[in-house]
Amino acid sequence: MRVGIAGVGFMGSTHAAAWVETSAQIVGFVAGSPESARPLAQKYGAKVFLDFSSMLDEVDVVDICTPTHLHVPMILEAAARGKHIVCEKPLALTVKDALEAVHACRQAGVHLHVAHVVRFFPEYALAKQIIDQGQIGRIATVRLLRGSYRPKKPVGNWFLDESKSGGILVDLMIHDMDYARWVAGEVESVFARKVSAVYHDSPVDYGLVILKHRNGAISHLAGAWAYPPPTFRTRFEISGDRGMIEFDSQATSPIENLTVKPYAEAPDVGLPSSPVRENPYTAEIKEFYAAITEGKMPRVTAEDAVAAVQIAVAAVQSARSGEVVYLKPL
Amino acid sequence: MSLKIGILSFAHLHAEAYIQNLRAIDGVEVIGLADDDEQRAEHFARLFGVHRFRTYEELLDAHPEGVIICSENSRHLPLVKMAAEAGAHVLCEKPLATTVQDAEEIVRICRQAGVLLMTAFPMRFSTPLLEVKARLDAGELGHVYCFNSSNQGELPKKHRAWFVDRALAGGGAITDHTVHLVDVMRWYLGSEVSEVYAVANRIFHADEVEVETGGVVWVTFENGVFATIDCSWSRPPYWPSWGGLSFEMVTSRGAVWVDAFRQNLTVFTHTLQRPYWAFWGSDPNQAMIEDFVQAIRDQRPPRVSGEDGLRAVEVVEAAYQSVSNGQPVRLHRRQL
Repeated sequence: MRVGIAGVGFMGSTHAAAWVETSAQIVGFVAGSPESARPLAQKYGAKVFLDFSSMLDEVDVVDICTPTHLHVPMILEAAARGKHIVCEKPLALTVKDALEAVHACRQAGVHLHVAHVVRFFPEYALAKQIIDQGQIGRIATVRLLRGSYRPKKPVGNWFLDESKSGGILVDLMIHDMDYARWVAGEVESVFARKVSAVYHDSPVDYGLVILKHRNGAISHLAGAWAYPPPTFRTRFEISGDRGMIEFDSQATSPIENLTVKPYAEAPDVGLPSSPVRENPYTAEIKEFYAAITEGKMPRVTAEDAVAAVQIAVAAVQSARSGEVVYLKPL
Repeated sequence: MSLKIGILSFAHLHAEAYIQNLRAIDGVEVIGLADDDEQRAEHFARLFGVHRFRTYEELLDAHPEGVIICSENSRHLPLVKMAAEAGAHVLCEKPLATTVQDAEEIVRICRQAGVLLMTAFPMRFSTPLLEVKARLDAGELGHVYCFNSSNQGELPKKHRAWFVDRALAGGGAITDHTVHLVDVMRWYLGSEVSEVYAVANRIFHADEVEVETGGVVWVTFENGVFATIDCSWSRPPYWPSWGGLSFEMVTSRGAVWVDAFRQNLTVFTHTLQRPYWAFWGSDPNQAMIEDFVQAIRDQRPPRVSGEDGLRAVEVVEAAYQSVSNGQPVRLHRRQL
């Protein structure tokens, strides 16, 4: 199986490292400019394609790691050419686009896997397993926090362009929207606000979102682009009528690094990390690979990705209007 | 000459702390307690070795300079009225009342009678919270944008059955655990709440109580700051403490995490067979009670007012309104 990777930022390179762990062959990379794709191509002994459609000529699977606003056009093109697709989250910036992408892939008979990688992080996967075993009973409240610093410029600047990334509520917080829905079920309503919408020149951003689930559970989501680099912190607290689970990446970090780390050394975007044998991105790509080659059901489906987009878009709408947004079943 | 203080009702468990706080202050005489529940009166009078007055009137006839009211939430108003008429200064347990109307009445009565009225918001005296307030005022932390806060606890039913009785408590988790953080934020910001949104459920202890046990209250301030308050009774009975109060305050300089009850030892004992937290920080109740006493001595307003109590009750009432109509509610602040 031949893979081509579109986008050579953090996700493109991380996914490339993960594909190496499968039996697939990385054929090449395509990026905004051929020069930027060269280092990765060299590293993996692969080609640099000049454009996306010429890459499609030579691959069976495309892995789309480009800025979010480019996802859907690329998916539509790849599907029309009969190629399987792995796509970074968020799938799309609107529900309409997300649905169009899913329908196109369904009609073309190609796989569409969206990289909601949080489901593959061992701490989040284990919590889900404990919940599914009934260890904490019926879920009543879910508190999720994901915090880092604002993506740096110039590499990360598309993150800050809301028309391209959707901003903090979409780009960062969709992770936890998907996770909340995974553990607590379908979402009925969304209420959200973010700092940058209230304080237009704020140097930091922070989003708060309340989800009401159809089964009565309440999720509280917080997302920060407000901490000093290289901070990346996640926390969760999931409470049921028979117990609770809590997690704090800082409290459970097996290594506390008290050496000096200059700002310049911090990566362009904050990244979560805890030393584990197989990194979550690799686990994710392997599972998608097995889905494509062996037809195994992955833990996250394209429909899940559409639902996550729906929640994220509702959050943006709520933050804009100040009202509660009630979701229509998809 | 010593300052005489009486305690009206031991319905709220905080009375047990306050009586000891009073006794730790030089020149304060606890003249006794009165309680309409005879058994309770007898029990606590014996436990603390304090005089038991047969009625509230009898206690007030002994002319205390001040009283602490720790009745059920819905019974604050009649006791405040009696105390104010007797000329006693009042420290009233939170929430000030179960309705805005009662809270307003409490403030008005004390004002007319010329007695001091303090709402028991001990978090204003928490040393970690005072430290943050000082840094904020000094400009070290930049401008505040929002708060992500929680005041979660265990089901309070094991302490007193009335805490989960709507008629006596006013409601469940929202009534119990919204007011402290609303007050802290008003204090930090010097701004008033303009809008409230809230969600609630009854999944924790669903078979034991009829009030809401889980909830999040969202408040927006006139100055634009927004905040969430998780007020859930989500802590299981085997949690290492009763619960806690903490918040993340996001500012133009980043964020500050504050936990009012983190100054703990984690203790493991054969007796309990599970870890518990032993608090070694400074007791905020002690500082609050001292302020009440000092306010009486100096004839100055206490550091928390009755109006502060009323503003928090307004948020609680709006939160219930929002829960029932599913949309944010504009807050109409009472003019005093």
